[in-house]
Amino acid sequence: MKKSTLGILAIAALIFNACKNDETNNVVVNPNDYNVAVSGKIVTVKNLPADTIVGVGAMGPYGAGKYTFFSLGTNSKIASTDSATSNWDLAFAGNTIRINNGTSGPGNGGAFVYVGTFDGLTTIPADSTFRIDNAPNYAITKGSGKGWYNYDGPTNLLTAIPGRVLVIRTANGKYAKVEILNYYKGNTTPLSTASDNVKIYDSRYYSFRYTYQADGTTTF
Amino acid sequence: MFAQQDTASTLFSSMDEVVVTASKTATKLGNVTSPISIITKKNIQQAGSLRLKDILQEQAGLSITNGFGAGIQMQGLNPDYTLILLNGAPLVGRTAGVLDLNRIGITNIKKIEIVKGPSSSLYGSEAMAGVINIITDNTSEKKIQFGARYGFGNPNLGWSSPLAKNVFKNSDLNFLLITKYKKATFNFSSNAFYVDAISFRPYSSERLTQPIWRFTNQLSISAPINDKNNFTFLVRNGYDQIKQNFAVNNIGEVSTSYGKETNNDLNINSTYKHSFNENIKSSLNVYATFYRGYQKLNFSNKPDSSYIDEFRQNLYRAENQNDFKFKNMLVTIGAGFIVDQAYSTRYDNVESKKQNQILYAFAQHEWTLSKKLIFTTGVRYDHNKIFAAAFSPKFSFRYIANKAVTIKGSIGRGFKAPDFRQLYLNFTNNAAGGYSVLGSIDAVKIIQQMQTLGQLSEIKDDYNKLNNLKPEFSTGINIGGTVFFNKNIQLDFNGFRNDIEGLIDVRQVATKVNGAQIFSYINIKNAFTQGLEFDLKFKATKTISVSTGYQFLQTADKDELTNIKAGKVYTRNADGTSRILLNNEYMGLANRSKHMGNVKISYENKHGLFINTRLIYKSSWYVGDRDGNGLLNTNDEKGEGYFLINFAAGKTINKKLNINIGMDNVSNYQDVNYLPNLSGRMTYLSINYTLK
Repeated sequence: MKKSTLGILAIAALIFNACKNDETNNVVVNPNDYNVAVSGKIVTVKNLPADTIVGVGAMGPYGAGKYTFFSLGTNSKIASTDSATSNWDLAFAGNTIRINNGTSGPGNGGAFVYVGTFDGLTTIPADSTFRIDNAPNYAITKGSGKGWYNYDGPTNLLTAIPGRVLVIRTANGKYAKVEILNYYKGNTTPLSTASDNVKIYDSRYYSFRYTYQADGTTTF
Repeated sequence: MFAQQDTASTLFSSMDEVVVTASKTATKLGNVTSPISIITKKNIQQAGSLRLKDILQEQAGLSITNGFGAGIQMQGLNPDYTLILLNGAPLVGRTAGVLDLNRIGITNIKKIEIVKGPSSSLYGSEAMAGVINIITDNTSEKKIQFGARYGFGNPNLGWSSPLAKNVFKNSDLNFLLITKYKKATFNFSSNAFYVDAISFRPYSSERLTQPIWRFTNQLSISAPINDKNNFTFLVRNGYDQIKQNFAVNNIGEVSTSYGKETNNDLNINSTYKHSFNENIKSSLNVYATFYRGYQKLNFSNKPDSSYIDEFRQNLYRAENQNDFKFKNMLVTIGAGFIVDQAYSTRYDNVESKKQNQILYAFAQHEWTLSKKLIFTTGVRYDHNKIFAAAFSPKFSFRYIANKAVTIKGSIGRGFKAPDFRQLYLNFTNNAAGGYSVLGSIDAVKIIQQMQTLGQLSEIKDDYNKLNNLKPEFSTGINIGGTVFFNKNIQLDFNGFRNDIEGLIDVRQVATKVNGAQIFSYINIKNAFTQGLEFDLKFKATKTISVSTGYQFLQTADKDELTNIKAGKVYTRNADGTSRILLNNEYMGLANRSKHMGNVKISYENKHGLFINTRLIYKSSWYVGDRDGNGLLNTNDEKGEGYFLINFAAGKTINKKLNINIGMDNVSNYQDVNYLPNLSGRMTYLSINYTLK
């Protein structure tokens, strides 16, 4: 009963978002703005700010220290006042992505980084181990070349590694697959020759796409 | 000076011309078993080239790299792997492996010999891709010569009057004196070069000019004592001064950085040659070279502090070589000792001397089986004080199949010893996130210390590979030859493959608590370069000739290639979604153009008039990863392929007066991001006067 209600809700949310999407199609979307678009099973989020840079200090650039919370089930940002609830599934700040479990939240979340294409991941392999956050070790591994990104110090650029899928167990125990597309504003990594200003202030804007499986199965 | 020869003699190098670089003995060009090319004094003059970079960039198969000065890329290998010699002795003072070719004036030299393929069997370290040997003039004809040149351009407008404001200038003054005292010839030359060097302010499309002065003074003495004894001596000094004054935008904070940079090169080379008889010759060479690069910058917003960067390198070498002729064999045996020292602010302490000592011996056997067939076998052993020894064999042959076709082949080992930077560098970039690059010897010490102090958040697996940096080794194969289709068409061709083992690369070995990365040097990569090169010369009429050169190049990091073939590497589509990378999308090593070529059309008559146009082409080259897979493929960041057109003409009057005009970069091609040092169109006039 509960399951089907949620399913209906999810479908409603999909339809609602689809309608919203249809509406926004008539409006020119600024490629640098936060935007959620739904196309079939795939939801694409552009320019989700993740503790964007507010200044540069002695220790380098810094943000305000606030996470952006996101719900994969409702395709929307969640207010930070709900950080202690199970309303959110992913929280973004800089290159840290938290899941709602362990040291990060009260939910039933979990995650691991899968190597392969987003489309190629149709069923989560049965022998998969979902990790949970245990700060400073996170389910979605941090570090250049370890999880979903490469970071190059000399050019000061962070690039999302292609062929990496974040397999997510949501706060409510549903499953989703997420592909990070880009870490910079406008879904475009600056050129290596771009100025430090651009590289710093355009960073921490996530573009990603995902498929959320509302029925609780591990098949997408 | 260069008026009286028929064009054919400049177009086709005579097979009887004597060259020295390929075998370390005077050998007729036609008997050389390795790929070799010669750039003559006349080639240099007719191209209006003043610095080594100018003339090398017009050669097929040689590519000029940007970054740390102008470097040379030969057979697809980085500048670190080409040995640059002055009269057979190595030039030093490399920055990040690059010997800046702009430092070397070529106004008063006899010729440049270029040998491709590994030559470590004769020259030891660095001679992995090949050897460039600059040979100074040793003619004994008395003369005095004066030369002056003025060049100008306006990169923003293209066309400009030489007197216009904001014009970019270069000028060159040259003096040459050849005189004799008894049997000895004294050859003194002096050159002053000035350029408003044009470069782009980093991260902006604005240009800035850095006035650069370069001075070269050279004295060579050739003293044949008698029939059996000959003494030569060369002292050469190059001094550069580069003024800097530019705005630096450091994350919104603008300040002016001003100061100067100087480079000082001193080479002293003396050789004593003795012939015991016609068949046994011996020589002793003593060489010392001193390099100092110094940069001091002040910042308008921090008047109390200044940035000083200093690098000094001293190299001393003594070498004995003996040549024995028996019937159809020539045996060369030599040995030497090198002391190499460096000091730098980039190391732990500018006062602390870093030193390496190398003891080496080499032997070569050249066996002329018949007029058609020559086999050359050589080997060299380098014993290094601070890292593993290197053993470098080489085998080569030349076979004259018939009147028209000559075939050459060689296989050899090359190596490059780790340089001081790779062992001792201690660099932290505080401006860009505080990442550090440490030499492999210092890295172990510093990382252990930081670990004890709790300043590290992580030590990477690659840290364990740091302890013993070894030389990089390569195996090079060259197969090629020459075909004379008739007496007016000559084709030279060469196919090459270089397999490099244990290529030293920068890898992250640890992370600081604040997230900044620590890098060091590790023998980690295996790579190859392979390609095909041809050079076609065609004498259309008595006065008109055409020559074209082309190189096709493929390179790869072998591990990357293996991963791509296994389907483990992904890329992104235009919308950012991932897919598996295809084999043919892989672009190999960074900064390599797959296609390079040139066409030169020249007219020259008996009356001392010449006109030439040179077209130079480079296809695109990849510079940085954009799709995040850590390697270079077709949708990554690249510099766009381009053409350059250079033009020159000149006339010699009464063998004394020579007037040249020319224009470099006729189409005013510019690329702010990827060719920051390519100036726009430059027009020049030069006049030379010779007194005999």
